[in-house]
Amino acid sequence: MLVLDRVRLPLAHFELDVSFETKARATGIFGPSGSGKTSILELIAGIRRPESGRIVIDDVVVNDVPARKRAVGYVPQGESLFPHMTVERNIRFGVRDHQTENFIQRVVQVLEIAPLMRRGVGALSGGEAKRVALARALVTSPRLLLLDEPLAGLDRPLHARVIDFLIRVRDELRVPMLYVSHDPAELQQVVSETMVIERGTVVG
Amino acid sequence: MAHALILAAILHVSAAASLTDALREIGAQYQKASGDTVLFNLGASSLLARQIMEGAPADVFISADELWMDRLQSRALTVKSSRKSILSNTLVIVVPSDSSLKINSPEDLASVSVRNIAVAEPATVPAGIYTKQYLRTRRVWDRIAFKVIPTDNVRGALAAVESGNVDAGIVYKTDALISQAVRIAYEVPRAEGPKISYPAAVVADSRGKAAAQRFLDYLSSEPARAIFRKFGFLPP
Amino acid sequence: MTSIVVFTLWCAAISTAIVIPIGLAISWALARLRWPGKSIVETIVALPLVMPPVATGLILLKLFGRRGPFGFLEVVFTWRAVVIAMIAMSTPLFVRSARVALEEVNVRYEHVARTLGASEARVFFAITLPLAFRGIIAGIVLALARAIGEFGATIVVAGNIPGRTTTLSLAIFDRIQLGKDSEAYRLLVISVIIAFVALWINEAIVRRRPNAGP
Repeated sequence: MLVLDRVRLPLAHFELDVSFETKARATGIFGPSGSGKTSILELIAGIRRPESGRIVIDDVVVNDVPARKRAVGYVPQGESLFPHMTVERNIRFGVRDHQTENFIQRVVQVLEIAPLMRRGVGALSGGEAKRVALARALVTSPRLLLLDEPLAGLDRPLHARVIDFLIRVRDELRVPMLYVSHDPAELQQVVSETMVIERGTVVG
Repeated sequence: MAHALILAAILHVSAAASLTDALREIGAQYQKASGDTVLFNLGASSLLARQIMEGAPADVFISADELWMDRLQSRALTVKSSRKSILSNTLVIVVPSDSSLKINSPEDLASVSVRNIAVAEPATVPAGIYTKQYLRTRRVWDRIAFKVIPTDNVRGALAAVESGNVDAGIVYKTDALISQAVRIAYEVPRAEGPKISYPAAVVADSRGKAAAQRFLDYLSSEPARAIFRKFGFLPP
Repeated sequence: MTSIVVFTLWCAAISTAIVIPIGLAISWALARLRWPGKSIVETIVALPLVMPPVATGLILLKLFGRRGPFGFLEVVFTWRAVVIAMIAMSTPLFVRSARVALEEVNVRYEHVARTLGASEARVFFAITLPLAFRGIIAGIVLALARAIGEFGATIVVAGNIPGRTTTLSLAIFDRIQLGKDSEAYRLLVISVIIAFVALWINEAIVRRRPNAGP
């Protein structure tokens, strides 16, 4: 479902050189901070271009496909909700006409964010914001969902809850996901396969 | 009258700013008489000449001194045969109106009671150039050069005198007449003074040379001269 | 006197209307892209800020005078030259403000928008521009104010032609030159009033958008 074939990208301190393949519903990318995990997600999403190598999603080489056509959902680390829009406008941003209203309601229901729709982005807690960012990516029916440290910046008590939601996304909405984290325990709960990265190369 | 309307032209006349008021009246009269429209572009002679050098669409050029007209002529940018001087002016020494300073001759400028003298930049501004020329011939320039405060233009020199910041200034008579805060202490007699001349000519690239010449001719006519006289200018 | 003010405001409005799209394009390119020779473009855009306005005017004259590459347009000594001078002098100020405003927008928002299927145009108009709103408005007001106050370059390329190209600032200078101080002061007061109005409008617009900005 996802193939990275000798994908190379020079980074600040080393060169990223990744070859990896997975067919699992939920795959993890594990490694210390600064090992290139975020860059890998950016390459898959189409935000950055590799210097060489192929990126294949669902048997299609997407190297020359621009980000907006890749149908890859991206939930980056840190604040990513558009600050000048309400929750609802954020969520509907990627929705084109043919996306069904039913599906949107389903996502909203699974992530329990219905009461937040009218709020401004600034009025959300950390956990709420993460769920809204998730919903925004999901309503576009992506073929792959990229999560960059989804628990970062959230209080410990919240972790279990968000992981719960992610499992529901995996099982009820059945969206394939790539989950980046530096915490193996976290990954264990959600993914079935893991790519281990160290200084830009796959080591496990 | 119908004849004039058929040939009605729009003339661009680039003229020295000091002629503004006089030209406005003359222009209004000329438009009525000829049916042509005259648009005046007023500014410093140096700037006007530069504009013509770069191909700005002027039809007539009236300069405040011969220097800039010479420059254009040497570049074949004016119609040589149309060149003529249309005006002259006199230099005057002015003092603040409440000053008791007495100036009976240019040599008096060398006296101790005159500590500073405002003059439009003697290297580039026509009035300043003429001033320096005149004082040189009177052998006074070297004695007073250190007292000279050069100003950007004549208006600056006048303002310096008005404010009382300088003891005296040298400007054209026409400039002195503008201000109520200065008094003319000495008027340079025409015979002694520098030959101040305002040359005018048709611009070589003009697309309305006939109309331009007609306007030039009008400037030397009696009605125009009367207006110039009113503002203190002298005939050439 | 009213006609001078109306003429100046009219020209400044046209000039600013042209500066906005061109300036936004330049600012965006400078803020988001990198290419060989970028510093040359940066320098050219900044030049009118650094040179004396008369020098800029002379360059414009060389370009638009009969002997210049754009001489066929015949804009010298017309209101079009006034607008051109205003554009030349106010673009650098606008680009300065707008570029900084655009650079301050976190690209992460733009990246996410792209993954959500937005075209480059949509990214710009729906995400980047609204988030850079304050700085861009400030740039517009600056450009407008600069255009209204423009003088040095205008007098060179448009001339000082009463009734045709005399702008507010030119008129003030003119009156002072001719010793017509009371007229000059009256025009000056009008300039100050215009400045106040411009600032007030700036405040009003910016105050009404509390969510703009990161």
